[in-house]
Amino acid sequence: MGDLMYEEVEDLEFPDDIHVTSTGISNEKLGMWVYLASDCLLFGGMISTYLIYKNRPAQIEGLEGGDIIPSQFFDIPFTSMTSFILLMSSLTMVLSVNAIMRGDMVRMRLWLVATTVLGSMFLAGQAYEFTIFYFDDGLGFTTNVATSAFYALTGLHGVHVLIGVIMLLTMVGISYRRKMHAEAVEVVGLYWHFVDIVWVVIFTVVYLIP
Amino acid sequence: MSTETSTTKGSDDLEHEEHTHGGTDKQYFQIFWILVVLTALEVSTEWWDEWFGEGSRPIAVFVLITLMIIKFFLVASYFMHLKWDTPILKRIFYFGMIVAIAVYLIAMTSMNFWTDSGTTEFNDPPPAPPPVEASD
Repeated sequence: MGDLMYEEVEDLEFPDDIHVTSTGISNEKLGMWVYLASDCLLFGGMISTYLIYKNRPAQIEGLEGGDIIPSQFFDIPFTSMTSFILLMSSLTMVLSVNAIMRGDMVRMRLWLVATTVLGSMFLAGQAYEFTIFYFDDGLGFTTNVATSAFYALTGLHGVHVLIGVIMLLTMVGISYRRKMHAEAVEVVGLYWHFVDIVWVVIFTVVYLIP
Repeated sequence: MSTETSTTKGSDDLEHEEHTHGGTDKQYFQIFWILVVLTALEVSTEWWDEWFGEGSRPIAVFVLITLMIIKFFLVASYFMHLKWDTPILKRIFYFGMIVAIAVYLIAMTSMNFWTDSGTTEFNDPPPAPPPVEASD
């Protein structure tokens, strides 16, 4: 033992890989899943707040505001299109993960860029929707509690998409500098798919259920 | 993997298998098209009132919630690899989701979300029970 170098002693403690964990899952992946589970609580809170306030805009004691509600102005065909775009981005994301698992960096980068473009299109659609609501329909963030709850929920989702787009762009940038780990792309993919399933719920609960 | 299979496959195939723990591209396209059809069905409920009358509304809500749950699990199981990953991840995620649903169902119930009397007042009391006729 006395002849062993410091590094060799470390290898005896972690014979296969220094990243081996007791669960068999890397810390990064486990951390992302725990974060996503906690994000369920965050979005659950925002969705239930919207549901409670959506039809009670004006006559709440102590609060002022107009009695218009966001659902009067929903453009379902337009929102369906943006939902379809986000759904498509989930497909391109999973194809990107599959490509890196095959070691195909070129296709991985291609699908990552496609996902980024689709995510940006979704964000542009949301910005357009908000602009119409604000300037044409007079729905401001402080118009009443119903509009506040609506903007807070959909805006929070939009921020998640924006963070996802930044993460994807970062991955594309890193892929030009060095070899990517498949798991890094997978972890970003998990975040992206979560953003998609949250929209699946928001689209149904907020936009489609009368 | 059996020894027989190992000997009949090339090293590239083996390497590919070792690094893949999800579905194939073809499978993902299939899931995507299923999701597209389900979304189209969801969107169609917007016009069910015109096509089938207002009586179809409760059915539409039921269909929408069912389709939402199916879409949720399809994305989580296939695109997020929960179908193939270790069960501990499934437990972590679904535990968070179930806790969220339970907490907010309780919160909404406490705010009379289900028993709202139809006015726009916040936290209005549940509707009064029907009067009971006095018996001798």
